[in-house]
Amino acid sequence: MDKLGVITSFIHNIVVYNIPLLYGTVGEIVVEKSGSLNLGVEGIMAVGAIFGYICGCYANSLMVGILMAFLTAALCGLLFAVLTVSLQANQNITGLTITTFGLGVYFFVGNGLKSSGWPIMGNYDNIKAGFADLPIPGLSSVPVLGQGLFSHNVLVYLGIAIALFMWWYLNRTTPGLKLRAVGEDPAAADSVGINVKFMKYLHICLGCGIMGIGGYYMGLNMSGSFNSSCWINGYGWIAVALVIFANWSPATAILGTFVFGFFNTLRVSASSLAAAFPGGLGWLGSIPTQVYQALPFVITAVVLVVSSVRKKRGSGAPAALGLNYFREER
Amino acid sequence: MKIHIVKRDTCPFWKKCCYYAGAVLLALLLGAALLASMGVDPIAYYTRMFTMGTVGNKIAYKVWINYLKELVPLALTSVALSLAFKMKFWNIGGEGQFILGAIGAAFVAVKAGPILPGWLTLTLMCVAAMVVAGLYGLFVAALKVRFGTNETLMTLMLNYVALYVLIFLGEDKGAWNFFLDPDSLRPVFASFSDIISFPSIPMGDKFSLNICVVLTVLIGVLVYVYLKHTKHGYEIAVVGDSAGSAKYAGMKVNTIVLRTVFLSAALIGLAAAFKVGTAGILSTAITDDVGWTGIIVAWLSQLNTAVIFVVSALICVLHYGSTVAAATFSQVDSSFANMLQGVILFLVLAADFYTRFRVVIVKKGGKDNG
Repeated sequence: MDKLGVITSFIHNIVVYNIPLLYGTVGEIVVEKSGSLNLGVEGIMAVGAIFGYICGCYANSLMVGILMAFLTAALCGLLFAVLTVSLQANQNITGLTITTFGLGVYFFVGNGLKSSGWPIMGNYDNIKAGFADLPIPGLSSVPVLGQGLFSHNVLVYLGIAIALFMWWYLNRTTPGLKLRAVGEDPAAADSVGINVKFMKYLHICLGCGIMGIGGYYMGLNMSGSFNSSCWINGYGWIAVALVIFANWSPATAILGTFVFGFFNTLRVSASSLAAAFPGGLGWLGSIPTQVYQALPFVITAVVLVVSSVRKKRGSGAPAALGLNYFREER
Repeated sequence: MKIHIVKRDTCPFWKKCCYYAGAVLLALLLGAALLASMGVDPIAYYTRMFTMGTVGNKIAYKVWINYLKELVPLALTSVALSLAFKMKFWNIGGEGQFILGAIGAAFVAVKAGPILPGWLTLTLMCVAAMVVAGLYGLFVAALKVRFGTNETLMTLMLNYVALYVLIFLGEDKGAWNFFLDPDSLRPVFASFSDIISFPSIPMGDKFSLNICVVLTVLIGVLVYVYLKHTKHGYEIAVVGDSAGSAKYAGMKVNTIVLRTVFLSAALIGLAAAFKVGTAGILSTAITDDVGWTGIIVAWLSQLNTAVIFVVSALICVLHYGSTVAAATFSQVDSSFANMLQGVILFLVLAADFYTRFRVVIVKKGGKDNG
């Protein structure tokens, strides 16, 4: 392969393989901005993935798939909201349980269906066509970058659009302002007449729904082949990490996704990059792949420590993150 | 009509038990409904699951031995986690600490096993695992007391760092890598079960009790006494309730946090040493998710050491039983256990609400007694 082609496909892969992280991260940011630390991302994405994929295939429609992924994941969010907002359960424990439960559902449904006829993505033309690349006219013919950045499937564009929209929503609209107030100080928000419970319920469900679409994307990206390892494969946890890296801003999350994605994709592309540029990048191939896999987590750990050393200055973390709000206790 | 939620001061023990038992029962009923909808007889399935196929089985003792092998790491990890949780230190790094402990124990087993006497190797394995895992936990605790770093997210990240270290050791074919089997072309961990393993005490004609089981129960008793009847245990409880009051009372909060987290992580390391020393081989799935399940067990047990043993025994039955039952009922995947475990905890969390709060219905115009 020619050298530019290697770079183009590297850039292309960074986007294609890592957009689910953006969905997970943006969803988790929306949830966390309401003051809830939801550690169930992995499980929620898995639930969205399996139901989105199966329903999408049966209906032979990408739209139905996206909708079902959103709805089933939002239902998990509702469960989380009922337990933590209304029933005052511990958020860490509830989130972790949702992960266990969600992965259980994923394998239970998947393995159950496998024996009685698993839908194969290749047989559903509308899904296949819907997930095909849509080059943006003009931009996609830019050399090297064009094919890498501007020729992607519709869910990539949707992910970017959701991230930008959510940034606008959180920072430039009244409901967004109210939501941030709830996350910072629910008692103060309550006293000025904001319906804290409603805001929390709504945004937990919304955020979880967005994660679910990311899960569905992962299923489609693996062409729906179901085996012993889960489609989500730790991406949910990376998303939790990315929220910190992105400093709770959906727009920065896009950047964060590509930074993490860069290392994530190096794992796959290191050998072809090393082969194309033996002089400059030859050393890439000699680094163990596990280093690339561990890097996102190491970077996040460093970001966590650095931001805690610098204390609260400039941190986007909601002040009431992880704390339940009990009105009678003000 | 209005609904008020009022905090309870106390909840009688029997009432608590009723709520929790009701939650578990409801979860089992929901599971039964799901099974029935799939055309599986729920009673037959549950019977198979809860007896783990021991009834009418000539080699039932083998089931028990294997069951205890799964129970030991889970129970010990849960006990260890409860120490940190009692202090409201959210150590969700059980997975990572377990993995590092396992690597430490395996290192000693491979290097010292062939030279030293067996009992010494086993002791060293435990010590190495405890120190390595303990330091991994201590690192996070030090950051927490020094800079206020969020321990939940930090331990979460370190879980994955540890996991990839383990995978690296399991896949790197370099000549230095003494963890791998030199005779295999594909990278696989070397087995050291013929060099070293924890001894068993023969009981009856077939069953033999692994020494790890005895040690785990002993540690459980020690931790119970430590938490309930020592100064350290009291300090942990005070720091957990209110770090401010602890400081005011003249306690060295930072020292208490560092000490307790080290102990918590070290015990998780010990659980890993037991696991590795019994299995006689490392594996990339060595943790068997005990770091995660342990959190759920510790919480379900309300951090009570005695209850932890009961709950972890039941959760183990759930997991082990569902794999046994999956062999008979092929349409029910063994992941049914994870789902059921999730539903049980959801309902227990909900029941927990009713033990802490009272729902008072106030009639319109009536007197507000909230």
